[in-house]
Amino acid sequence: MSTGATIALLGQPNSGKSTLFNVLTGMRQHVGNWPGKTVEKKEGSFSYGGKEYKVADLPGSYSLSANSDEEVITRDFIASGKADVVCILADSSQLQRSLFMLADYAGINVPCFLLLNMADVAEDQGKKIDAKAIEEKLGIPVVPFSATDVKSYDSFYRTLERALSTNAKIKIDDLAGQYESIKEYQDICDLIPDNTIEGYSSMWLAVKVIENDEVVMAKLKNSLGADTFNKIEAARKNSSGAVATGGCKFKWIDELLGGAVRTDEKPVSLSRLDRIYTNRTWGKAAVILTVLLGLIASFIPALPLMGVGEAILAIKAPVMSALSSAGCPEFLVLVVGDVIIQSFSYIFKMLGFVFGVTLVFGLLEEVGVMARISYVFDNTMGKLGLQGKSVMPFLVSFGCTMGGAAGARVIDNWGQKVLTIALAWAVPCGAAWATIPMLSSIFFGPGAVAVIAVILLTMLAHMWVTAKIFGGKLVKKEDRFGMIMELPPYHKPKWGALFRYVLGRTKETFVRVTKVILLVCGIFWLLSYSPSGSGGILYRLGVIIEPVTKFFGLPWQLFLSYIASAVGKEGAVGVISALYSGGSYGTAFSQAMAGGADTSNLSSLLLANVTKPEALAFIFAMTFNMPCVVALAATFQETHSAKWTARIVLYYTAVSLILAFLAYHIGLLIW
Amino acid sequence: MSLSEVKENKEALISEISGDTRFMSRITSIGLTPGCRVRVVKNDKNRPILVYSRDTMIALNRNECRGITVEEVTA
Repeated sequence: MSTGATIALLGQPNSGKSTLFNVLTGMRQHVGNWPGKTVEKKEGSFSYGGKEYKVADLPGSYSLSANSDEEVITRDFIASGKADVVCILADSSQLQRSLFMLADYAGINVPCFLLLNMADVAEDQGKKIDAKAIEEKLGIPVVPFSATDVKSYDSFYRTLERALSTNAKIKIDDLAGQYESIKEYQDICDLIPDNTIEGYSSMWLAVKVIENDEVVMAKLKNSLGADTFNKIEAARKNSSGAVATGGCKFKWIDELLGGAVRTDEKPVSLSRLDRIYTNRTWGKAAVILTVLLGLIASFIPALPLMGVGEAILAIKAPVMSALSSAGCPEFLVLVVGDVIIQSFSYIFKMLGFVFGVTLVFGLLEEVGVMARISYVFDNTMGKLGLQGKSVMPFLVSFGCTMGGAAGARVIDNWGQKVLTIALAWAVPCGAAWATIPMLSSIFFGPGAVAVIAVILLTMLAHMWVTAKIFGGKLVKKEDRFGMIMELPPYHKPKWGALFRYVLGRTKETFVRVTKVILLVCGIFWLLSYSPSGSGGILYRLGVIIEPVTKFFGLPWQLFLSYIASAVGKEGAVGVISALYSGGSYGTAFSQAMAGGADTSNLSSLLLANVTKPEALAFIFAMTFNMPCVVALAATFQETHSAKWTARIVLYYTAVSLILAFLAYHIGLLIW
Repeated sequence: MSLSEVKENKEALISEISGDTRFMSRITSIGLTPGCRVRVVKNDKNRPILVYSRDTMIALNRNECRGITVEEVTA
């Protein structure tokens, strides 16, 4: 297959860019980070007419200014010539506003074409758009389109070819004419020759100067003489900035659309659903209910894969005994059973959850509900430096942290996404919530309620402190601003594209997390393995450093159980019970992880061996420890960063021990 | 008057926008420019303001709106 062109997709948020990207590339996509940047990079490919085209889904933003790394990366990617053609998307139902991106693009020297997306929605609203008339004025191919309609794609491919073969560029004379109404524009324009910065016309650069674009100003300072630059700077100071150029852009758009768009004026009002979400009293409750229902709904598509995970676990014992009786060395039997089969059981359960959460919350995003969640929780989450959407991963994490990490995918800013995941780890998951009340009631009776309340308060404080510690690096101060966002109309979902996207992400997750989980489970198993059945590195280490761990309120049995809780919290209590009843750590660990540990005489065993302050220390250490191996893998998968994943792990290990220390010593004062 | 003082379901014309470079660029790119007509759809304390303009429902943080001066349209 011959290599075709590289296409860049450019459009404002909610322009349908992601849907187009998913339908075009299907499962052939890859998500990573831009080199050295905290911005997500989405690439994919598709074949058409015997050629293989590459597609870059550029980060969504409202303009091409220098407000964020996303915008700078987008325009540099285009102007550097990495894309052969740029596909600009606009929303037909809000054409005037969404053409702003086109107006901001005009003057960049790369061929392009315009997709008037959501043509069906505009039609339903009674808008009639004459694409041919717009095309004539613009000088580039313009095509009505509906990303959710399969039939539209033929015209997409044809328009793409047409833009490439005609090397289509936007006619900028009329736009330049508008800019001339700004007094300083012409002077600045005359001082900057075309391509002073590669790929940009002097008009585009002059407009960015007036808008006081830091990146452009710095580059001009470098490439023009000091004398010229000072003249430019002096002229800029007199101008009225982005408000003036923005006005010109919209005047140009108005003239462009003049006679080409007819609409029936309808009075605006909020839909019934939006009246609930925006209600001052009930809005937050409605959002929390929506997320919880979404969490429950995501178990339905998750069940088949989770069933596979359970089935894999069920064959563990028969396979191990079959291997033993076939004369396999014990070491090999254990590796197959406790590492490989156990890991794949985890992996499939995780995939089920990732599949369900990505599908349900991807759907909420596509339909437009996620934007309402952002709106309702903007003030609250803004205090942590996050978007309103971050409330969703937090709530999901009460069920399962990996679901929270997978759900954080809807956050479009990488730094905020990593910070959200880092904070979601502080939310005790379902397995922790099963353990906390059980242990607390054994030791503290009715006082268990107080323990749970303190755990919840600690969680809030933990999130707040973590936001302060990691927030500075992940979410820069200049990126912390209040919401200026469109609340898009509700859209019908495109099921086919959504499913393909979800399947693609699940497959990618499978490939990436398998390695991580096998590795971590393998290391833990090796550390707990003992050929004679009574030792193991972790066991010996645990016993040796007991004087230190006792300082944190953890005798070696509890400390080893704490270590096991980093693999999976389900197993923590099983490990304690096995160790206090004299079992070896290796066996206790593998049994507990498989959920088969004997906990029948737990309460008498614990009360005989563990003091109240120690129990309290353990509850805190276990609850705020790394959630589990699978959450670790999901975090790595979503952040694409081994460095940040490792940082979060170390941080949580340290904080959980500090909390254990505090709990223990406060406990000593009480009892 | 400031945009945040406009009552729900009232219309207003934007007369002036002021603020730092970043704010001006963000607010114009979402379609709010001087001369633009907006309708305040929702104006509750502690929530972003909802305005409707250029066929679009826009949510604006209350603090950010302080730089938007409007004249109420009486009709």
